[in-house]
Amino acid sequence: MSLFWIVIRHLAEIEAMATSKKVITKEEWEKKLKDVKIRKEDMNKLVMNFLVTEGYVDAAEKFRLESGTEPDIDLATITDRMAVKKAVQSGNVEDAIEKVNDLNPEILDTNPQLFFHLQQQRLIELIRNGKVEEALEFAQEELAPRGEENQSFLEELEKTVALLAFEDVSNCPVGELLDISQRLKTASEVNAAILTSQSHEKDPKLPSLLKMLIWAQNQLDEKAAYPRINDLSTAKLEDPAV
Amino acid sequence: MTNNNSGSKNEEEVGSYFLEVARGAHKKKEEEMEEDTEDDESPTELNTINSSGGFLVVSTDKISVKYPSVNLHGHDVGVVQANKPAPVKRLVYYFEIYVKDSGAKGQIAIGFTPDNFKMRRQPGWEPHSFGYHGDDGMLYRGQGKGEAFGPTYTANDIVGAGINYASHEFFFTKNGAVVGTVYNDVKGSLFPTIAVHSQNEEVHVNFGQKPFAFDLEDFEKQERMKQQMTVEKISLPPNVSHGIVRSYLLHYGYEETLNSFDMASKTTVPPVHIAQENGFDEQDIMYALNERKTLRQLIKNGEIDAALGKLHDWYPQIVQDDKSATCFLLHCQKFIELVRVGALEEAVKYGRIQLAKFFGLAGFEDFVQDCVALLAYEQPQESSVGYLLEDSQREVVADAVNAMILSMNPNLKDSHGCLQSCLERLLRQLTACCLERRSLNGDQGEAFYLHRVLNIGKKC
Repeated sequence: MSLFWIVIRHLAEIEAMATSKKVITKEEWEKKLKDVKIRKEDMNKLVMNFLVTEGYVDAAEKFRLESGTEPDIDLATITDRMAVKKAVQSGNVEDAIEKVNDLNPEILDTNPQLFFHLQQQRLIELIRNGKVEEALEFAQEELAPRGEENQSFLEELEKTVALLAFEDVSNCPVGELLDISQRLKTASEVNAAILTSQSHEKDPKLPSLLKMLIWAQNQLDEKAAYPRINDLSTAKLEDPAV
Repeated sequence: MTNNNSGSKNEEEVGSYFLEVARGAHKKKEEEMEEDTEDDESPTELNTINSSGGFLVVSTDKISVKYPSVNLHGHDVGVVQANKPAPVKRLVYYFEIYVKDSGAKGQIAIGFTPDNFKMRRQPGWEPHSFGYHGDDGMLYRGQGKGEAFGPTYTANDIVGAGINYASHEFFFTKNGAVVGTVYNDVKGSLFPTIAVHSQNEEVHVNFGQKPFAFDLEDFEKQERMKQQMTVEKISLPPNVSHGIVRSYLLHYGYEETLNSFDMASKTTVPPVHIAQENGFDEQDIMYALNERKTLRQLIKNGEIDAALGKLHDWYPQIVQDDKSATCFLLHCQKFIELVRVGALEEAVKYGRIQLAKFFGLAGFEDFVQDCVALLAYEQPQESSVGYLLEDSQREVVADAVNAMILSMNPNLKDSHGCLQSCLERLLRQLTACCLERRSLNGDQGEAFYLHRVLNIGKKC
């Protein structure tokens, strides 16, 4: 080891001692990493779980053939679910509602908040297409009664109807409702409800594990100085901070 | 094997890495057990050797106690500890007592005491011990004076004591409900402890051999959810999971899946864009995608001869040294495939030509011995070397060949990149961090095991 690195290492140790942190060198850490047992089949399952939950049907089918991993859900149900999601994402809410009821009428029955959000999205689409009269009728007949039952529904209804008050919707305070992100939010909600009704977890496991990695490193930072991974997309080990 | 050019050195590194993986499979079963019990054992009965014999009587089955005589002062408590300390490598430890008879004064206690506890005193009356007492419902933690804690308890009550390693707390229950918690700052091992102190008191203890009155599973579930909720609040860079999945498919050569995935990603709303600047240098991992896919398919179908043929055509340098780890794995797999279809004579012939040279070579010997041992059994899949016949073995060989080809990339920057996908490195880091954190915490609490996390969903 060059003199430079020896000095750096000593500085790290001094700092660590000052804060009573354990110093773990890159070699020591790499040995610990090597001792971990990760099974290929478990990683395959994680990837399959991602493909299936996010709705990549064709990719899941190909992955099953190429890796021999069995999906944890019937692939046929994914196509139906994705059709609903796409319909909402494209603004065809009526179509989406019909499809959800075809899949499983209980989903909307047991999910008043989801149903309200879908109706709200319908209202937004009517306003977006300039169908003012239809929008008002729809708001009064379908949404107002729900609003009466529930304070937060009422607030959201009022926000949505407020869109009608503005000529230039791109600059109004509630303009974000017209943004595509609102459609995506609703689409995500309906996707999750369908998965739950099929007794499947609504979120893929991979993002949670990535969050757990960030959390675990933050926790360990309090007690030790060790090589960290700061960029998840490269998984490169950075030398312990001095 | 003393060829000094760097290409060959790379090859050795890759080859021996996967040889280790293949050999590791043999120890897989033992490790599965290790994960489950996590090394520490649970108490099962009461310790009759160090209990304050003379003051109390322990039943022959060692799970109940009685206080026979009349107590006279504060140093004739009938105390008994469990036969083992509370295990720490888990989320929670818990046990219960059933008060059969509260005797003259109901001076029963449940709690935890250290190894060297004075076995004539109530748990909680001595330093570093904790006790929840039935006669006054107080918690004692190291002094003669207790603190108001919970309800009193008496005959027919079921009282429990537990250690929550996630929150660093003791908790106590009465008839299935938590009555209180107290901070646990004890570093050393603690023994589940029960005590009786007046005439005719009788207590039965349950270390889990019978169902608890308290819903421990639900309690654990709640604790895990608390941690999950903290973790979920962390934000991730956009599309990072997408990118990691894509790089996984590229790394291992799942070409068809990758193409479907890329096509579908273009039509998602919004379309997924992967930042090209950081992370993936496409040239590196797109390398030889089609060849790697083809070879993986052949090996996964057990068509080793075809695979060797293709390798001779496309990458002769990989198979030119017949004593390399990669060739070794391929030849062993061919042997295994012959045994699988029952062509034992052919297998023996093949073994003599291709495998015999590996006997006596350190690093190869134990694996080749296992392979040859397959011949000894009528039902090899049921034997101790049956693991060789599993699909996972073919997977190791396929991954080894895949990594070898990746290492042939002339544009290769990071030689370690061939060995493990990005996902694998992330998962190893996660596991190592959790283990290190636990170890710096007196080894208390749950660590992270991918296998367990993946199978949790199955239970519900």
